[in-house]
Amino acid sequence: MELPLTALRNGETGVITSTDPSVEQRMCKHRARKGWKKKVTTELCIKRLTDLGLTPGTDVTVVKSAPFNGPLEITVRGSRLAIGRGMASRILVDVER
Amino acid sequence: MSNKHFTIALAGNANVGKSVIFNQLTGLHQHIGNWHGKTVEKAEGTLHFKGYTIDIIDLPGIYSLSTYSIEELVSREYIATEKPDLVINVVDASLLERNLFFTLQLLELEAPLLIALNQIDMAKKKGIKIDYEKAEKTLGVPVIPTVAVSGKGVYKMLETAIEVIEKQRKIELLKPRYGKEIEERIEKLVKLLDKTQLKYPARWAAIKLLDEDKEVEKEVREVSPKIVGVAEELRAELEEIHGHSCPTVVTSERYNVASRIAKEIQEITTPLKTPMREKLHTATTHKIFGYPIMLTTVLAVFIAIFTFGDFTSTLLGDFFFGLKPAFDNVLGTGIVGQLVWGGAIEGVVGGITVALPYILPFYFILYIFEDSGYLSRIAFLMDNLMHKMGLHGKAFIPVMLSFGCNVPGCLGCRIMETTRERLLTAFVVTLVPCAATSVIILGLVGNYVGIQWALALYIINLIIIFVLGRIAFKALPGEPTELIMEMSDYRVPHIKTVAKQTWFRLREFIVMAFPLIIAGSFVIKIAEVANLLEPIANIFSPVTVTWLGLPAVTGIALIFGVLRKELTLIMLASLLGTTNFALVMTPAQMIVFTLVVMLYIPCVATISALVKEFGWKKAGTITVIEILLAILLGGIAFRLLTI
Repeated sequence: MELPLTALRNGETGVITSTDPSVEQRMCKHRARKGWKKKVTTELCIKRLTDLGLTPGTDVTVVKSAPFNGPLEITVRGSRLAIGRGMASRILVDVER
Repeated sequence: MSNKHFTIALAGNANVGKSVIFNQLTGLHQHIGNWHGKTVEKAEGTLHFKGYTIDIIDLPGIYSLSTYSIEELVSREYIATEKPDLVINVVDASLLERNLFFTLQLLELEAPLLIALNQIDMAKKKGIKIDYEKAEKTLGVPVIPTVAVSGKGVYKMLETAIEVIEKQRKIELLKPRYGKEIEERIEKLVKLLDKTQLKYPARWAAIKLLDEDKEVEKEVREVSPKIVGVAEELRAELEEIHGHSCPTVVTSERYNVASRIAKEIQEITTPLKTPMREKLHTATTHKIFGYPIMLTTVLAVFIAIFTFGDFTSTLLGDFFFGLKPAFDNVLGTGIVGQLVWGGAIEGVVGGITVALPYILPFYFILYIFEDSGYLSRIAFLMDNLMHKMGLHGKAFIPVMLSFGCNVPGCLGCRIMETTRERLLTAFVVTLVPCAATSVIILGLVGNYVGIQWALALYIINLIIIFVLGRIAFKALPGEPTELIMEMSDYRVPHIKTVAKQTWFRLREFIVMAFPLIIAGSFVIKIAEVANLLEPIANIFSPVTVTWLGLPAVTGIALIFGVLRKELTLIMLASLLGTTNFALVMTPAQMIVFTLVVMLYIPCVATISALVKEFGWKKAGTITVIEILLAILLGGIAFRLLTI
């Protein structure tokens, strides 16, 4: 099942399917509807994410998220990262449920 | 053989112990400056070893050689154009895969390389066993295991470095191979690029073109726009094949190589027991317990710093002012004596007694927090709150610093990734009440009006910060970036490195702030001796008296406050001829006065920090905005309080 990273439960692991800007644009529209004016970050952030090892085909585990809609704590390739929710929602993962 | 001169650059991810190695190598022979024209720190040091003089450059900690941050750009420009004799890639042995991803890029850049496999003790604890010989063979470069904090392996690393530079040891750099369809396209581009004169190796430039690297593209376009066009076509082909954007494909493939090498050279057996550092991590980032732990820690730190600062400050102050009679005997109490004492000496004394006792422990504890890894946990917990004012979790660090002093707060804005965020954070930072402002809030309002009013002022200040932060966030052009941050494992901070960082920061502060404080004191003292203060205060009286409803002498006090904010209180006492402010000011006046002091202008040292980081124009704008804001809000407060 393909889900955004933010939809994973704590402790769940998924395989990244995409971190592409096309998804980003979809999310942009989604947010604009909700009145969220913030323009979503560009390829630059995608680049950062992939540079940190979040490439398609990689296992990623959501450890937990900070309260009040805070960032996600994830582990990928043995390292522990904190990433903002907006960005996490643009990473699609394949999970078995 | 002797007296040869070499340059070695240290490169690697953040949190791998790079700065510890740097400190082990260079000791106190360090120079911290900026990269030319950039607000990225450049740490250089010199080392004498077996008759060689070696300059060591500590490149910023980065994860890649792309163009995400200025740090990445600076690093790769340095390696590509300055061509150091050797690059020592410090690698975290317990996080091989991601570290090798960076190593591969250094190999692509065809830098003469040596790998310091650091923190092998930590790796062992994590159950990771690495075959060093196999690593050397696979990567084609010397691999030296080290434990930087204890200095283990550092000597051997240096010996090997010399060997490599002197070419007594040949190295065959591994050329990381990508998938067939990518390699074919790299070949095509290399053939085209070979004919041009680029400062980069052709293969690296080819890979970067496929990686959609804007900087490399710009440079290639200058020599041959055709190649850029070809690259575009090739990228489109690859995107067609893989179904992902080309940069993602390239990065992904490079990670595959890193992953394959990591698997070949390491063996992992997961320890059964959850280690202490993991438990600590879970507790300090817990959604319920994380916050009380953070609050307690931060409060304890503040109380400790203020207690220590207050004690030391009084002690030093008493000592210096105890010298005054002796001084008066020598220079007399005439104009010369007044000028020298009031201008120069009081400035220095003020700087030493007020700034140092607070700033020194503040820096020290901050670096302990950073080095141990707790700072990133705080950023994780505070991210959401910081978002409310348009910043992200990392900005909490400079903001926290600013409660001690705005100057390190402004300099601390460097940890933000983009210029836009740096500026935003700096703006917020200058609105935070620093230790000196707190002295006034507590000393004037807290003492004479009531502690609940002092608290109210703090709350008002926080509201102002939030509101203005949001406005600035909307007003500044550019896009926001979100938090992407590594939370590296907890570790015991390396005290020697922390102490050195504290010392260099402190020196930076002294060099920047002291000349201004002294010059400012001198100017004001001259104005005082020449009886100019009252006329100046009278010029301001429409604002201070009519609009703000304050006694006219406050104008003078506020002028002094530009130097150091706590001077407003000291001056007020001496101008009004009493330290019992209740006799001469109404509670409303005290509140208005404090509110204005809190907001009206960053002190001269803060302004100079702003100028250093952002230039005159932006520093000026922030200053003017804050003066206007203070006057506006002060006037409103006065009217509300006297209804």
